[in-house]
Amino acid sequence: MRALLSWLREFVDVPGTAEEVARLMSLRGFAVEAIEPFGPGDTVIDFEVTANRPDCMSMAGMAREVAAAHGLRLRTPGPPPAAARPPRTPARVRRKGPAVLDIVIENPGLCPRYVGAVADVEVGPSPPWMQTRLQAAGIRPINNIVDVTNYVMVEMGQPMHAFDHARLAGAEIRIRTARPGETLRTLDGQPRTLSPDMLAIADAERATAVAGVMGGGDSEVTPATKTIVLESAYFDPLSIRRTSKTLGLKTDASMRFERGADPGCPAAAMARALELIERIGAGRGRGALIDRYPKRMKPVVLRLRRERIAGLLGCPIPDRDVKRILDRLGFTLGVVAGGWRVVVPSRRVDVTREVDLIEEVARHYGFDRLPTTFPALTAAAPPIDPRIARARHLRELLTAAGFFEAVTFGFVAERAAAPFAAGGDLVPIANPLSELFAVLRPSLLPGLVDAVAHNRRREQRDIRLFEIGARFTQRGGERLALACVWTGAAAPEHWSGTGRPVDFFDAKAVVERVGQALGAEVRTTPSQEPWLAPGRSAAVMANGARAGVVGQLADTLVDAHGLPRSDAVYAVELDLDALAPLAGRVVRVEPLPRYPSVTRDISILIDDTLPASDVRRTIGGAAPPTLVQVAEFDRYQGKGISPGKVSLSLRLTFRSSDRTLTDGEVQSAMDDVLAALKEAHGAVQR
Amino acid sequence: MPDPAVGTAIETLRADFRARLAAAATDRDLKALDDAFLSRRSGSVTALLKQVASVPAEARREFGQLVNALKTEIESALDDKRTEVAATRPPAGAVDVSLASRQVPAGRVHPLMRVRQDVEDIFARMGYEILEGPEVEDDYHNFEALNMPPEHPARDMQDTLYLGVPIPGGIWGAHRSTGARGASSEIAGRGRVPEAQVRAATLLRTHTSAMQIRYMKTFPPPVRLIVPGRVYRRDNLDLSHTPMFQQFEGLVVGRGVTLADLKGTFEAMLRELFGDVKIRLRPSFFPYTEPSAEVDISCQGCGGAGCPTCKHTGWLEILGSGMVHPAVFEAVGYDADEVTGFAFGLGMERVAMLKYGVDDIRLFYENDIRFLEQFPL
Repeated sequence: MRALLSWLREFVDVPGTAEEVARLMSLRGFAVEAIEPFGPGDTVIDFEVTANRPDCMSMAGMAREVAAAHGLRLRTPGPPPAAARPPRTPARVRRKGPAVLDIVIENPGLCPRYVGAVADVEVGPSPPWMQTRLQAAGIRPINNIVDVTNYVMVEMGQPMHAFDHARLAGAEIRIRTARPGETLRTLDGQPRTLSPDMLAIADAERATAVAGVMGGGDSEVTPATKTIVLESAYFDPLSIRRTSKTLGLKTDASMRFERGADPGCPAAAMARALELIERIGAGRGRGALIDRYPKRMKPVVLRLRRERIAGLLGCPIPDRDVKRILDRLGFTLGVVAGGWRVVVPSRRVDVTREVDLIEEVARHYGFDRLPTTFPALTAAAPPIDPRIARARHLRELLTAAGFFEAVTFGFVAERAAAPFAAGGDLVPIANPLSELFAVLRPSLLPGLVDAVAHNRRREQRDIRLFEIGARFTQRGGERLALACVWTGAAAPEHWSGTGRPVDFFDAKAVVERVGQALGAEVRTTPSQEPWLAPGRSAAVMANGARAGVVGQLADTLVDAHGLPRSDAVYAVELDLDALAPLAGRVVRVEPLPRYPSVTRDISILIDDTLPASDVRRTIGGAAPPTLVQVAEFDRYQGKGISPGKVSLSLRLTFRSSDRTLTDGEVQSAMDDVLAALKEAHGAVQR
Repeated sequence: MPDPAVGTAIETLRADFRARLAAAATDRDLKALDDAFLSRRSGSVTALLKQVASVPAEARREFGQLVNALKTEIESALDDKRTEVAATRPPAGAVDVSLASRQVPAGRVHPLMRVRQDVEDIFARMGYEILEGPEVEDDYHNFEALNMPPEHPARDMQDTLYLGVPIPGGIWGAHRSTGARGASSEIAGRGRVPEAQVRAATLLRTHTSAMQIRYMKTFPPPVRLIVPGRVYRRDNLDLSHTPMFQQFEGLVVGRGVTLADLKGTFEAMLRELFGDVKIRLRPSFFPYTEPSAEVDISCQGCGGAGCPTCKHTGWLEILGSGMVHPAVFEAVGYDADEVTGFAFGLGMERVAMLKYGVDDIRLFYENDIRFLEQFPL
């Protein structure tokens, strides 16, 4: 609401500068968006009016708040000081007389009140003072008639409309819903097709305005107009909002009606408009003002309890302050036991409950004057959500492993998401901001790989990123995931020559570390993902179920994100919701070994396609329970090894919990192992 | 008799040697000294010896003895010095400790998550429960139950992103079931969430307030809850807006909870987060609270005097809050005459921007390592 300071001062003798007024009002609930100089020596204060306060989308409404905030009296403005020319006759509105217009409300549910009047006019420019005030409010002056309707709207908050009487069929106004397919050209020149749930203002034949939103071009007031019909009505907020939304048409009128105009205002606004028309010499009313108000709205009456005020605000507010504040805001108070009976003025559509009255009291009493206390604790807090605790744990683990935490958007471009969506299971956004945010992410990886590309373009070569967040599919809904990407060095470049680029086994180690942290036994099994490089792709299994993926990004994906193919990018993604039930083990300490272990190394020649896990399984199956560990320590192909074969060296550790193992029994175990390897895999000991 | 001139020359050489020996500290210095005095070709003692031919025959013997004595003395002094220098050499296998180390790679927690953890910790100490809720929501939990029926003008305050198809939703709490879609879930030690709360998700939540409803429909008062998480709005990317951002929802409900308690809680929380700041409440409007208040902290940039950061007001808006609207209590089946409560929403980006001096919100979502590594380990 753009309020011209000099206009505001017609309502209330507010002292101080615009800045001082702005500062106080921001503490009363009206944030100030701007303070602008306007014309010689005047200022516009642009107040932000919250959606619940349509009554303050007017000078009178803002002035009432300013008066209450300053403890000053509010005046009803008479003639503006600039309106030097006295009216030819005293302004007076006749309430009785011959009807010159027929008004029929067909749908009182959508239009509870309609006030109409006829006036003979001479269309021309409005006086400069009126134009100035409209411009200050951000409204373009049109002509004296339209300007008067807009002036009344800005002054009193009541939107009005003027029709050219000559262009209405049958000197009749019918307020009815639109007929199916009924069309209308609105004032902005656009053809509009109305639907039967929209309210129209019609003459005897056709719709001539979209009620509460915009008038029709066919009945527009033009320089040739001699007689006008003025409209001042109250429309159902929901209906106006729906119509405005459906038509995509937001106007000064619709914004006020949809938030809730004052049903008590239309007649007063009509009287003011007719007064102004006469006063600026634009014409004069003819016949009686017609007020159709079939079912008078009852004022809202609320009980306000003294103890409830104290109970909500944390301290009692003196009765005299309660009365003073509500009185200045236009509420009528009667004393009852324990508090007051309060009649709410019809313009205050936001006040429907006792608590709304308490807010009014608190607002003008001043939040700063309330005490500062601390809520009493009546029960111990439950432990932290295990999901949050787990995310924190992983965050510590991964940052210690050199990974930077990233946070990326929950939506991505469809093109980026597609490779990750099994069977095209993507969740589209119905109204995306742009193509870049078209679908919910089925994986955290598109966003993370983009972040890698961002860093690569900025001279970073060694990049480790991770993210913990939700991903979405149509079938599975929302699931929590962890993803990591790693490119560049696994061991950083060093003068000693120990630098080394990342490979599959670094990425696999991350998976295992996360598994350990969550208390889950994880394994990797070959599984080719379309977005991972051929042969460098594995599924992560936890307790027999699939819980994630690890591998090297496929060239197609690397290209799509603008990354160089020269540096491999490894990626991990784990479903944390799948791993969650596995977490939370009870820790039981095992006794430390009391007897020494014995290690034996073997080197075997096997087919190079034989998975190491098969070799380990064979060894485990053949060895006695004293075998406690098997680990590969060398793998060799090349000179001396025939093509298609590989030399694999393993270290086997034996230990017993109740005795020292003898050489003989370890040797016998090794013989069994070698025999089994030969039998199962044709392995030859080297 | 020795020639006095010869004697002087010898003494000069000796003095010169002594001075340079005293300054010598390395093998390289000693080699240079050796060369300078004893080198066969250019050593100054060698050169002196060669002058023997020009010495009168009767003095030659003495001259030779004197010069040779000097030579022996220099050799011996050099040897001693060599031993001394050798004793200062690092032992075999010593390393140059000034060489560059082998770096242990260290990542960082994202600044927004640092803020999140800090705020979680502050509230945990005040006895709050910390829970996450779903990011995909339904209209009922995100709007309707929060006193925003369909067509409510306040819905315009948050431009919503809708899903093109409904997806299974409504699962929240600690231990999500991994079984069938739409299954109920469990909160650690606090029982199952009623099936009635599980509805198909149709939108991205515009605020974490949706969890107020889920929580209160599940558990009776008193409530002391913090819900951190991502929220979505149809805002274009610019210096201060992103279409996704992160919020904390706070909810306290019980007998006799007041607006004064809200003030006290924020004062404690914001002081811990920002240091010695002043706070102020400004009346505002949210459909699900009444009275509603925006909370400002005094601008640290200018100490309240006014600067571009605070738009010359001396105050910075930090969170939105208010007393829970009775309509919300009615929606969840709490008795609005028995209990009162306050709720608030705090933006993590806003806190991080003020706390770390970040002036472009997009930096949080670019994940530029040069930005991330500025935060301490």
